[in-house]
Amino acid sequence: MKQLIIVGSVTYAMKGREILFNHGIRAYIERLPRTPDTPGCGYGIYVPERADEAEQILREADIHVLGRKEW
Amino acid sequence: MIYLDNAATTYPKPPQVSAAMLEAMRKYGANPGRAGHKMSMETAEQVFHAREEAAAFFGAPGPEDVSFVMNCTQALNMVIKGAVKPGSHVVTSCVEHNAVMRPLEALRQQGIITYTEAKVVPGDNDATLNAFREAIQPNTSLCVCTQASNVWGIRLPVERIAALCHAYEVPICVDCAQSAGVLPVNMKDTGLDYVCAPGHKGLYGPMGTGLLIAQDGSKLSTIIEGGTGTSSESLEQPEGMPERFESGTINVPGILGLRAGIAFVRRKTEKRIYQHESALVCMLYDRLRASGKVELYMPRPEPPYFVPLLSFNLPNKDSEDVAAALNQMGFAVRAGLHCAPRAHNFGGTLERGTVRVCPSVFTVPAQMAAFAQAVLKIAEK
Repeated sequence: MKQLIIVGSVTYAMKGREILFNHGIRAYIERLPRTPDTPGCGYGIYVPERADEAEQILREADIHVLGRKEW
Repeated sequence: MIYLDNAATTYPKPPQVSAAMLEAMRKYGANPGRAGHKMSMETAEQVFHAREEAAAFFGAPGPEDVSFVMNCTQALNMVIKGAVKPGSHVVTSCVEHNAVMRPLEALRQQGIITYTEAKVVPGDNDATLNAFREAIQPNTSLCVCTQASNVWGIRLPVERIAALCHAYEVPICVDCAQSAGVLPVNMKDTGLDYVCAPGHKGLYGPMGTGLLIAQDGSKLSTIIEGGTGTSSESLEQPEGMPERFESGTINVPGILGLRAGIAFVRRKTEKRIYQHESALVCMLYDRLRASGKVELYMPRPEPPYFVPLLSFNLPNKDSEDVAAALNQMGFAVRAGLHCAPRAHNFGGTLERGTVRVCPSVFTVPAQMAAFAQAVLKIAEK
């Protein structure tokens, strides 16, 4: 199962990725897949490991997290 | 040609600026923030680094607070028209450029706002601050002013004005058109709410680039809406910076050129650039003053009260004629009103305009000496 943390824009995705790198968490930016519950046209941060911790770090850093996607 | 019209736009640009633009055209030709393919993501990465560079330069809280726009005028319009509410009041200064005055006047004529021009007192920041204090009204919703006059070089104490405004819970927007790259601006330290800057002047980027930096852009209404590459299912403009103010495809080659320009200034440091250019302008001022043949309107333009530019006239000569004569002699300067009639009204030159001269980091003393000689030669004719 792939964990994607959804954020508001490619800018926030890049900022979030840098924050996670600084915390020693690998993170990659991906375009959101289009599914019935996500309309697409957005970006997420793919975190292979420690996704819960990563989301918490992002929220504490004022990155507006729109949700999580697993597929 | 000796180019001394750097207050209009700097020339030449550092070679790394044009190199960055060429690289953008060759390698980063995809639309950033619109797709997930490799070149789009690589282009977005480069734009993000440009935001980081600008945020670090202006002491912005984060790269997301930096929106790239067409020029400083567009940024000022976005803030002024986005911040004011019907029936509210705006405080500005008496030396503003039309980039501030025309939006304010348009809103006034539409019956949306009133505004007050606070009197600036060159060399007396306490008096200037007091004028701003007296201009604030209970319904003041914005203070917008320049950091330095584009005609007279007068520096406004924007840090103190910001503190004053915040005491009255009034947001402040600073026009850094003539100061960015010469005077330091730190949004975090000073609490400036909005900073507007051109990319093509003291930041040595290409024309067609500008910056709108906002501590909280979601407080501003938008005047341009459209595609941002995100939340496309919604018909509402996104609230989040920077996309809120970047509808439509952005100027990637310009932005990457601007990044190189900012990096150039950061390496040189604003302090050294300021010292270098001020020394040149003071040298010119001294030579023109010593001749007794030149009308100078302001005190010697020394730091910290002035930015390095100088406006002057020759007795019984039209400023445009003097600029044309200088052009014939190989000097590029700008005459007239410099899009700032209120500043000329302040200096008593609304009828005549002035000749304005402004060096850049690349100007050398010999060029300024030759310019002084040329001015005096025209004065003797």
